Amino acid sequence: MNMTLQRHLVRGIGAVFGLMVIAGAAHAQECTTKIGTVLPTSVDWGRPIAETAQFAVDQVNAAGGAAGCTIEMVLRDTQVDPKVGVDAAKALVDLEGVKVLLGAVSSGVSMPILTSVTVPGGVMQMSCCSSSTAFTNLAEEGKTEGLWFRTFATTAVQSAMGAKVAQDKGYGSVAILYKNDDWGQDMARLIAADFEAVGVAVTASVAINDGQPSYRAEVTEALGTQPDALYLALYPAEGTAAVREWISLGGTQKMILANSLKSDEFRENVGLQYLGETVGTDTASPRSESADAFRTAYVERFESEPNGPGLGNSYDATMIALLAMEAAGKDATGADIAAAVSKVTDPNGTAVTADTAGFTKAKDILAGGGTVMYQGATGNVRFDANGDVSAPAVIWAFTESGTEEVEYLSLEDVDSFIASLN
Amino acid sequence: MIQNLIDGVLTGSYLSLGAIGLTLVMHILRFANFSHAELLSLGAYAALVFDALVTALVPVLAAKLGPLSLTYALLIAILISMVLTGISAVLIDRLVFKRVREKGWELSMVFASFGMALIIRNVIGLIFGLSPELYSKDIAFAMILSRDPLILVKPDQVFVLIAALALMFVLHLILSRTTFGYALRAVAENPSLAQVNGVNLARTVTAVWLIGGGLAAVAGVFYGLSHQVIPVMGRDLVLPIFAATIVGGIGSVYGAVLGGFIVGIAGNLALVVLPSGYTPSIPFMLILIVLMIRPHGLFGEARA
Repeated sequence: MNMTLQRHLVRGIGAVFGLMVIAGAAHAQECTTKIGTVLPTSVDWGRPIAETAQFAVDQVNAAGGAAGCTIEMVLRDTQVDPKVGVDAAKALVDLEGVKVLLGAVSSGVSMPILTSVTVPGGVMQMSCCSSSTAFTNLAEEGKTEGLWFRTFATTAVQSAMGAKVAQDKGYGSVAILYKNDDWGQDMARLIAADFEAVGVAVTASVAINDGQPSYRAEVTEALGTQPDALYLALYPAEGTAAVREWISLGGTQKMILANSLKSDEFRENVGLQYLGETVGTDTASPRSESADAFRTAYVERFESEPNGPGLGNSYDATMIALLAMEAAGKDATGADIAAAVSKVTDPNGTAVTADTAGFTKAKDILAGGGTVMYQGATGNVRFDANGDVSAPAVIWAFTESGTEEVEYLSLEDVDSFIASLN
Repeated sequence: MIQNLIDGVLTGSYLSLGAIGLTLVMHILRFANFSHAELLSLGAYAALVFDALVTALVPVLAAKLGPLSLTYALLIAILISMVLTGISAVLIDRLVFKRVREKGWELSMVFASFGMALIIRNVIGLIFGLSPELYSKDIAFAMILSRDPLILVKPDQVFVLIAALALMFVLHLILSRTTFGYALRAVAENPSLAQVNGVNLARTVTAVWLIGGGLAAVAGVFYGLSHQVIPVMGRDLVLPIFAATIVGGIGSVYGAVLGGFIVGIAGNLALVVLPSGYTPSIPFMLILIVLMIRPHGLFGEARA
């Protein structure tokens, strides 16, 4: 009895402390729960993703932590290498005993972690940035055991938008050049199916390997089929080489680009004069108050705009994971936490904001047996049965100074278009 | 099919130039120089710098040569780059390879060359950034030689082929008609015996590096002209160039030329029968096949 009283007292003091001295709150809890994070922190765009996750953890700790304990995020580098990633994840699960694992970025890294570490270990894995549809297939086969979530829209959104562009522009036939990796092969397969669904013929689908001295043969092969337009799922370095070759050989300048070519490097090296009829697709952050709120909070914390890839997604992944931990309660297993995700992303639940106040509010509602609807940096996140999310999309074109939006498609527009394809 | 063949010949022209330097170095200094392809990057970037410099100093030279995307300024820059790259190759030899050669084993040289390759590649990346650069942002359009079957050739590539063949012919004359050429071949055959007969070994080694570096620079610029200049171009080219050298037979300049064209053509023709995802395996298949039939390469000879 005495012990319980004491614990309540300490917890109460902790909460007061948390509200008064936000920064010092991390030490105010009597216990610490570790969560694992595996991200490519050794690459320049990976570090901000990790920092954003830590930002979310800090905010939750300021609200007194999750499930009664301060959260400590143990961060490990994946070096964008599946072997390193799996080792890191294994160490976090086996040695640190984490029940929640955030990451990784690349699908090629997330996948082996999922199949060989988190699913066997019964740990919930939530990725900010993996887009491969291989996860969807795995989930459909029931092999993720409901432990897998991601806050990044699958490649399916991107490919559906590519098909929409071709349909809207009235292209009758399209040739595809794709990067010969997991992502590119995935894109090529999806876009070919989507083109077919909207009645656009695919004349050729040619793989482009990284770091080849010349892409002439590949380009010639696609060119020989004389398509109305060209679809490109490539990265800027190979994309530039292939497109310059394509244009110099008299290929059509009607091109549709995946978001990977939304780059200044590509625009400058190909030349804007050849890109007049080119449009690209991309997933977009929602036009919602919660997304703006995240932007403001991010600028306040990091003194720069959250423009890097996966930042909002990383934030949401972390917040949702921690909310789910809160909902699952103390000493929950990974499966319990994964099951609780639906309680914090319930469309019928009470809306909570993505910050310390929102987390505090969510705590009260969850404690009272209610459910909440998390409104985060990527909008009202809602996972489907496979742990996937959809996303709004933009269709964009190159301009003198960068890119401009041609069309914005809300989440509903995207979802209804994808539904029309099937 | 015809288009693939033509493209292969054009690709082969710069692979051959790179392979000539490599085969000479491999033969005379007896080690597999994995940093040779980095000399191509070095040459390409040196030309990029001097192209900009010459254009800035003498704007008149920015004019293009006929239908080519090549400017007079770049032509001058190529010559400067050849000299600079040749000198760099000599310097690298003096600073690194010579010391290793005197103290280490044959394998130490191979590892040293790996190290050099990484250093050169990353220093270039540090200075110029990792994004691709171009000699000319304008896209040179291809000429249509035939509509059915569709055959397209870019003027730049025809120039590259002719220039490469011309350079190879000059080298052939030097090797077969001059005393220096004989000395070079003598050293390759037997360094000790050549020295006894009054050939200056050190000077011959320097000459080999100068020739190898100079040709590598041209190959690098020609590659950049056809595609793009990027710090990792050495990494992308090292295997095709090695394949060309090995297929042609180590030590044979004519073998290197032929090997370059074989690798270039095979890489382009492969797409006719293979899905594009598998074409990078072609140079290796070629090495295997040639080595199984002729262990010393097409033109190579066993040495005592």
